[in-house]
Amino acid sequence: MTYVRSRFTKADLPDIADIDTNTAVSKESSLIEDEYRRSVEHYLIPFSRQWSNPLIRFFTLRLDWEADTAHLSSITEISVHPAYQQIIGMGPIAIPLILSEMKRKPGHWFWALKSITGEDPVLPEQRGQIMQMTEAWLRWGKVQGYLR
Amino acid sequence: MSEETIEDLFPNLRKDSYFIASPETINYNCIAWAAGNGEKWWWPDPQSQYFWPPGIPREETIEAFVKAYEILGYSICQNAEYENGFEKIAVYVDSIGRPTHAARQLISGRWTSKLGGLEDIEHTLDGLAGSKYGNVAIIMKRFR
Repeated sequence: MTYVRSRFTKADLPDIADIDTNTAVSKESSLIEDEYRRSVEHYLIPFSRQWSNPLIRFFTLRLDWEADTAHLSSITEISVHPAYQQIIGMGPIAIPLILSEMKRKPGHWFWALKSITGEDPVLPEQRGQIMQMTEAWLRWGKVQGYLR
Repeated sequence: MSEETIEDLFPNLRKDSYFIASPETINYNCIAWAAGNGEKWWWPDPQSQYFWPPGIPREETIEAFVKAYEILGYSICQNAEYENGFEKIAVYVDSIGRPTHAARQLISGRWTSKLGGLEDIEHTLDGLAGSKYGNVAIIMKRFR
């Protein structure tokens, strides 16, 4: 068991998956391979399953983004952060998650919402007024059926 | 945000005295705060979602920021020393000359800054210089 964990790494996974199952293998070798697969399932697969969950993915990315950009004034810098761009990349599935987050705590989600939806319900005279901008998007979310 | 976290972001603050002067809020940012506005987030973002003074190019350049402050009565000056009867502002830029931050001088001679969506602090100009905001590139002043 110790031997398997110390020898194999995450990078070995594709090679192991390609093992020809018709090759004659010893009982010990099969045992090692089984243990390896079990450890891979335990350590890697749960994470990938978590990452494919939009809710968990959104909140993980949001935490990274907030931690790295809270001190910034530049909306460009705030919005080109890799985590923020990944949230935009989630597409329409992120809209209700963003709106729910805005309802809980206003933030700089305007760039993402405009990028995903192609819309902008904020009036010119509301520009820069975060609470009014947030309310405009929350109203839009209700009209569009994303929020109750 | 805790003082420790702020000092991690701006290590020079550990060398100079500073203090947190407001609660955390995203209602306004440093560019607005330097201009005396505590109600809006000013930035010349390309999507035109945030406030930027009408008629001023929506560009992240020091020239555009100087023009934005000029319409409020500021003009470029040579030093950051306190001058009786004048209010000064300082604009920080990053390593490629893009504006990152602005601070306003108080009557005490110290400076007040809004740290993005965090708190206002009172500090020295060097206190915020470093990898996050870069360095002061322009000082401007107007009559109080």
